[in-house]
Amino acid sequence: MILTAYRVEMSKIFSKWRTFIGFLALAVLIPIVVVGMSMQGEQFLNFATAGLKDNFEFTGHLLNGYAVSYFIFASLYLHVPFLITLVAGEVLAGEATSGTYRLLLTRPLSRATMVNAKFLATITYTFLLVVCMAVLSLSLGIGFLGTGEIFIIRQQITVLQADDLLWRFGYAYLWAFLAMATVSSVAFLCSSLVENAIGPIMTTMSVIIVMTIISAIDVPLFDYVRPLFFTNHMNSWKFFFDDPVKWDRIIPSFATLMLHIVGCFVATHIIVRRKDILT
Amino acid sequence: MPHPAIEIRDLHKRYGSFTAVNGLSLTVEQGDVYGFLGPNGAGKSTTIRMMMSLIAPSSGSIRIFGMDLNKDRSEILRRIGAIVERPDFYNYLSARRNLELLGRLSGTDVSKSATDRVLGMVGLGARAESKVKTFSHGMKQRLGIAQALLHSPDLIVLDEPTTGLDPHGMVDMRDLILELAADHKKTIFLSSHILPEVELTANRMVIINRGQAIIEGAVQDLLNAGRLKVTIETPEAQRALTLVQSTPLGRHVHSSTEATLILMLERQEISEVVALLTGAGLALHAVTPVRSLEEYFISLTREAK
Repeated sequence: MILTAYRVEMSKIFSKWRTFIGFLALAVLIPIVVVGMSMQGEQFLNFATAGLKDNFEFTGHLLNGYAVSYFIFASLYLHVPFLITLVAGEVLAGEATSGTYRLLLTRPLSRATMVNAKFLATITYTFLLVVCMAVLSLSLGIGFLGTGEIFIIRQQITVLQADDLLWRFGYAYLWAFLAMATVSSVAFLCSSLVENAIGPIMTTMSVIIVMTIISAIDVPLFDYVRPLFFTNHMNSWKFFFDDPVKWDRIIPSFATLMLHIVGCFVATHIIVRRKDILT
Repeated sequence: MPHPAIEIRDLHKRYGSFTAVNGLSLTVEQGDVYGFLGPNGAGKSTTIRMMMSLIAPSSGSIRIFGMDLNKDRSEILRRIGAIVERPDFYNYLSARRNLELLGRLSGTDVSKSATDRVLGMVGLGARAESKVKTFSHGMKQRLGIAQALLHSPDLIVLDEPTTGLDPHGMVDMRDLILELAADHKKTIFLSSHILPEVELTANRMVIINRGQAIIEGAVQDLLNAGRLKVTIETPEAQRALTLVQSTPLGRHVHSSTEATLILMLERQEISEVVALLTGAGLALHAVTPVRSLEEYFISLTREAK
């Protein structure tokens, strides 16, 4: 039954135009960035490395597909959640808004099965969006600019060779999937609480913005709550581009994000099970 | 002896201090067309939502085909087709696609011939591929019936099924209900506040008000109970009114115009009134006794207030 319900949910999700907004946005944005970088990327690199050129000499093919993909990943990472919530926020609340909860829940389908199917469908959509981002940025980046090494400036400068990068991107995109699945789960939970689709989208984005702001403010008081915010762990993909990979930072972040996903999923189950369908 | 199709016992639903359903009990036998009557806000839709497990009862029990709704929800819902209040659908999908998705969730055949069959039954065959957002309310109502029939349920729960239908649609709906009951041996639970609809289709009914059953029984028995509305047509209606008011029957005067006098009478009182008026030399053009469920319904629900 869960498989049937899942297929029905996927059919519904991919019959709505709003589902394709995310794919369309990525399909427009990523080529624009790649083309822009291929035409004027040198200037961007010169600007980015201006402060380092007094002490370092940069040689090789620095403007390459991997560098552009890394740049796209870092730039879009905080915008993709909005595209995710457009769909995830509507999955349950949309049924309430359109009055179709009544149609769904008068079928021989348990509420738990319905929630599971909807959650799986939401996660699938999230996965496809991240895959779309990965495929577009890597294929267009490498297609236009070829491969090459990248240098990453954080607390230290890390130079990664071209043949050492693809697997790191693989892990980073898996992490992106986990992080976006967390955003989906929060939106999914919000979606179970209200009866209009705008509320969960606004609430989820507000939560992300508030948590990001609090995480960014360097006040000792926030040191206690910061590790609990999922937004604080979404950026842990960067540790895959450290050499060696900082697993000691990644594993706690993984646990925190998983905890958020499971927590939101269980809370949604409880809410939907107790919900009186009055719409 | 088969189990009753529906057995509701001492059903309550409370929202804080407001009681929407207050100790409702009723029994619907298999094969019945059961009218579920009540004014707006009487608790009809709340009861249906509890029957369809959309909302949880505060207390009481619901058994359908002998099974407990709490324990055998899925098995029960497999045997019920329902329209609950407004006929809402996935507006961005076609009528056929809506039926296909809902049919899959009911575990039923969703082949083109199966959807064509039910769409044809409700007169939507030509609009099968149209998106529901282009449908009028009446068309959505028809599609609501189609989705309720798709999986060939044994019990069909119809909540105000003729709302939004034009007169032809209402007649079609009535015929469909009668056909489903007579030819397909379906049990129909018909919630309505349109009394002629129940009068013409149901064999048993309950009238509820403020979440309680006021009266339950066979429609014909209920029609034969209580007073008749008797319309007397006479050119001297004012004189007739004066004459009737001079007798104890005067308290049964309902209303009068220049040409009619309307009284609420027991059957045996009709001849007394006719004798009184003809004895006084009045010409009576017509005496029409009407036993209408509507009058009965209004009188009962008024008494309950």
